Amino acid sequence: MEQTKANKNTTRDATGETFEPRIVAFVCNWCTYAGADLAGTSRMQYAPNVRIIKLPCTGRIDPLFILKAFEGGADAVLVSGCHPGDCHYTSGNYHARRRWAVFHKLLDFTGIDPGRLHFSWVSAAEGRKFADLINDITERVRGLGPFASDNPARRQA
Amino acid sequence: MNVTESIRADAARLLTEGRAKMVIGYGLRNGRSVPVFLTEPQGADSLHYGPQCTLNLAAYLARPEVRRNAPLAIVAPPATLRSLVVLAAESQVPDGSVLALAVGPQEYHGVVDVAAAAEIVRKHYASPEVDPDLAARARELAAMTPAQRSAFWREQFAKCTRCYACRAACPGCYCRRCVAETNMPQWVSTAARGHGNYAWHILRAFHQAGRCVLCGACEAACPQGIPLMLLNLSTAQEVQEQFGAKPGLDPAAKPVMGSFRPEDKDDFIR
Repeated sequence: MEQTKANKNTTRDATGETFEPRIVAFVCNWCTYAGADLAGTSRMQYAPNVRIIKLPCTGRIDPLFILKAFEGGADAVLVSGCHPGDCHYTSGNYHARRRWAVFHKLLDFTGIDPGRLHFSWVSAAEGRKFADLINDITERVRGLGPFASDNPARRQA
Repeated sequence: MNVTESIRADAARLLTEGRAKMVIGYGLRNGRSVPVFLTEPQGADSLHYGPQCTLNLAAYLARPEVRRNAPLAIVAPPATLRSLVVLAAESQVPDGSVLALAVGPQEYHGVVDVAAAAEIVRKHYASPEVDPDLAARARELAAMTPAQRSAFWREQFAKCTRCYACRAACPGCYCRRCVAETNMPQWVSTAARGHGNYAWHILRAFHQAGRCVLCGACEAACPQGIPLMLLNLSTAQEVQEQFGAKPGLDPAAKPVMGSFRPEDKDDFIR
């Protein structure tokens, strides 16, 4: 698997082909995943650049997941869950919010562009918001370009 | 009596009276400060205290081989007192199992329990002394572009040999099994280069968020001179700014990263 990922990186970086951002989205099962599902079942068009990883709750999203995504080839990471007060497990998103508040600053301080790490609250009813969000992030990351291959967070080939 | 003499007298007294079965303090070997573990009052003369005593001895409190000797007494400058309070808040110091021989930059505060140690910290050392040079360097770094910061840390982290001396020196790093060493699944590459080093240093700094007392023991222990305190300081400032938390003042404090307030700021979330 590592081999495949490395190959993909090299092809993309070496040739001057059009850059297509690869976005990894960590979403919770109850709100954002359902919101993404709604966007799909409502036939809303949005950028195909996102890879969704469903977890039970945003509280389950360990910061290591985010590091792993950047390490393995993500150009940007989205973390999204239930709005405050709406967590299926009452307080998972509140705990997660505290963690991210510090973590995203730490990543910024160590040289990961803040434009590559996004956070949002998307409820099960907000299919439109999810589609718009993915489109917006995709465009912004397109502007930023590929995640620098010499960034220390990236796995070296 | 100077500070060293006071420490010696109190250490001997505690051991004689049986209030402590082991005193952890600083000794001198070839002019360098080393940790000393005393179990007999006769050895009290090997204790020293001076500006070269930068180790945070609270790091030993979590070691089973040290704990076995409870009740313990520990020579504690302000940063170590703060560590002791953090450890108590995290239920790592059973009630009455540790006494501190509290020392300040000039004075000796005497033998205190955890509650009294917190009192001393709140009264005299409420804000950790931050080296102005360090603060200036952190500001400088924060003002750079992400690409410049990335280049800076790439160079710094490349030096890391993954000896984990930073972890061993830190009183906050007491997990019996560190996630950096789990391999099913392996979250952090153990190879001493690139992304593994990055993940390790982010992980270490992040796990200290809201717990770091800025004692500087990790950076002092680093054989490669990686400026770990830049990460610690920037995280500590963030925690204080956002959540008003100052670790090491209150033994009953809730863990900063393990609690929340519904009104926590979320202006970074869309």
